Amino acid sequence: MKLLTNAQKLLLPLLRRQRSSKTTTVQAHDPTAAGQPALTSAQLDELERNAVLRHHRNNVPLIRKLIEASVGGDRSVEQQLAEELGQLPNATHPRLLDYGEQPRELAQYAHRKMPPKPKEFSELARSLNLYRMDHLGNYTGHKSYYLTGQLATLEQAIIQYALESVTKHGFQLISVPDILPKEVIESCGMRTEGERTQVYKLDTGECLSGTSEMALAGFFANKVLSEEELPLKVTAVSRCYRAETSGLQEEKGIYRVHQFTKVEMFAICTPGQSEAELEEFKNIELDLFKQLGINFRLLDMPPCELGAPAYQKYDIEAWMPGREMWGEISSCSNCTDYQAKRLGVKYRRASDGQVLHAHTINGTATAIPRLLIALLESYQKEDSIEIPTVLRPFMDGQESITRNKRIPETKLVKFIKAAS
Amino acid sequence: MLGLRVVLRNCRAAQKGCIRKISALYITGDKANENYATLHPYLDFAGTFDERASLEQSIASRGLDISLDSVLRKYQKYQTHHEQLQRVVGEREVVTQNLKDLTRKGGSEQQIEELKERGKTLRNELKVLKQALYPIEDEFIHDFLHLPNRLHPQCPTEDQEERLLYRHGMPGGTGDVPSHLQRQDLIHFVDNNRYYMMGQAAHFDVNAMQSLARYFVTQGDFVQTANPDFVRCVLLEANATPLGDYHMVKEEQLQNKINTAYLTGGAAFESYLGAMTKLCVYPSVLPLRYVCCGRSYNRADAQQYGPTPSLYTATQTNAVQSFVATQTADQANAQLEHTLSLSIDFYKALDVPFRIVYAPAAALTPSESLRAVIEVYAPSLKRYVCVGRISNYGDFVSKRILFSTRREKQYEFLHLVGGPVLYTTRLIAALLEHNKRLEDCKLLGASRKPTMEQDVQQFKDLFK
Repeated sequence: MKLLTNAQKLLLPLLRRQRSSKTTTVQAHDPTAAGQPALTSAQLDELERNAVLRHHRNNVPLIRKLIEASVGGDRSVEQQLAEELGQLPNATHPRLLDYGEQPRELAQYAHRKMPPKPKEFSELARSLNLYRMDHLGNYTGHKSYYLTGQLATLEQAIIQYALESVTKHGFQLISVPDILPKEVIESCGMRTEGERTQVYKLDTGECLSGTSEMALAGFFANKVLSEEELPLKVTAVSRCYRAETSGLQEEKGIYRVHQFTKVEMFAICTPGQSEAELEEFKNIELDLFKQLGINFRLLDMPPCELGAPAYQKYDIEAWMPGREMWGEISSCSNCTDYQAKRLGVKYRRASDGQVLHAHTINGTATAIPRLLIALLESYQKEDSIEIPTVLRPFMDGQESITRNKRIPETKLVKFIKAAS
Repeated sequence: MLGLRVVLRNCRAAQKGCIRKISALYITGDKANENYATLHPYLDFAGTFDERASLEQSIASRGLDISLDSVLRKYQKYQTHHEQLQRVVGEREVVTQNLKDLTRKGGSEQQIEELKERGKTLRNELKVLKQALYPIEDEFIHDFLHLPNRLHPQCPTEDQEERLLYRHGMPGGTGDVPSHLQRQDLIHFVDNNRYYMMGQAAHFDVNAMQSLARYFVTQGDFVQTANPDFVRCVLLEANATPLGDYHMVKEEQLQNKINTAYLTGGAAFESYLGAMTKLCVYPSVLPLRYVCCGRSYNRADAQQYGPTPSLYTATQTNAVQSFVATQTADQANAQLEHTLSLSIDFYKALDVPFRIVYAPAAALTPSESLRAVIEVYAPSLKRYVCVGRISNYGDFVSKRILFSTRREKQYEFLHLVGGPVLYTTRLIAALLEHNKRLEDCKLLGASRKPTMEQDVQQFKDLFK
């Protein structure tokens, strides 16, 4: 079933080479590294190359100026310098350096023969009365949606299926908050200010979490764990809120929405464990989607797609036959100590008792809307949707989704005149 | 009694808090340039003022600071002006028609000119009348929209306390019971907006919600849904929800400044209203029974179960929300009983002391005519706490959101019943304080996925 290359074989030699080259970037973005010797010009050059490579905001020229200005001991300049250093992206895995701007496809998995004339999700779901997204903006907000009948049941079945799978792999379930202080969100590498922020803010000044990774990372903030506890693996089911919007035709419907449910995996581990832990996350994800029987591919993401916190990242894209495109349904990232340093997540090394920053890994077990697109488009039949075998036990053994006549069609009135 | 009075006072204060000077639900023409009207509520003046006595009783029992006399005076003024305006509109239409006829038949120039002049005068007159009407309309309609629903005959009124409907188990001893927050292996509580649950508490949090929704689907013939988490102000106003109950979401690109979004969570009654707004359904789908799993972020009860913050006062919770629409009031009563009966099954299986009461009128929001509250006993607080509530809204909310069906070519507004039937967070807190092992709790509706042992047994049975 695995069609193309074996990722492990391809990556191992590169993995071994990487360690020597990450010292400067790691040191620079450490907001706790006050009092360390100032960065050399060569180190700043390296930081700049990394920021440019990742298409990140290049603030190194500003950092150079601030370093010069800070010689006078001006507190505000020092504070600004610390803030700018905190904005730098994580180091980049060396194997990604020659990727350019395109992800590298590591494998393709084909499980299903696609339907001959596939319909797109919204057409399918609407024809079976399973979904509504039209005329809602004034009432429940832009791009809001309702899932109805068996599609809503399918959502809960997917959550149960994912939770059962990841807990079997030793992940402990945690209920997490969706409302977080902005400091926690910023420490995870998301900006909460500016016009293009993806973070919703509330009237209280708090923010809505974009992924439970933020709440989980916040849970371990300022904790010192013992090395024996690591890797500490947790999972959460949460609502994710994202202010991002898109007018792209290929992202229409529920492909990119402001609110959705996600089962997230998160691990805290030692630096020595994080590479292997990321591979485990990736394998769990691959297994989840193999069992769901959809067609998908595994991508190794280039530097410009890593965001600020990730050192390396895998994406999984499912084939969406109705849209005739690959769509990202999952990813996993090794953030090394980027988040841990900002949140003070540490562990005590068993050998010498030294307290060190931990590494964090995060990954998506299942994010509902896009998985629903992939499932419905892949499993469509003439007048019904087949339910994947692994989900049937969570749906009372039902084998297919058919049109539900008890759900009203969307027939709207504009105005009803009062009787005079 | 003192406690009850405090609660009622708080509720009244909250209700007063929802009265805004400007409404997203009704926008007069002079403000329509900046804020467009997203909905034209059905304003049933005749139906509302017909039975004045029951409306007055509703206002008094709820403890609302509304003078019906004053509203009626404003109504008369509005009617007078409105009729005057309608007369001018009518006259103008006649003039327009006459002008058309004359032009077609080739009338004299003088006649045409006279009509044109009359038309101009009427146009200016209309403009002046409209300008004069806006403030009158504004004042009256907003007062009108603040009038409450009629009370259901079963709702405790005036100074009556809540009425007990059902009880299971007794609270137990009077000794002090430690708070659930002491279970630090299961709960990490930061503040009302932020808490974590671990281990069996986290599993129960998801399982209880999924199980109960499933029980409603399989045993109660409900249809499951998944709903949006934001609800705009226009619907909160339509439902007369105190705006302080939910956090407001600050949106970067807000098109309609008075129609802001609030974080209700998908498992909130108001979230269902989005799908029902302006919807006209065939009678064949009625009664329409919906249930959903999701979050709820209601902060209305925080004061009631405080002052010490705990899972009883937390804003966020997993919840199961019910929503039923019927054609008649009798059907709505029957559906409320049906929903309560399913909920009773679920809580009985948990074997936790609980009761169902009808809340007194003063505790209701203006749109509710009756509220049945599901309360479990919280030993640390030595009181019952709400883990769910099912309300009857009559056709009060449907009229405002234009949710209807057609019968004999007439629109009929649907009667709504619904509310959360489970708040997992408060239930978990109470269960822990009752020393229940969450992993042993029987959850009605839990998916009966065959275990490995059962699979093996089934395989062996094949060879018997």
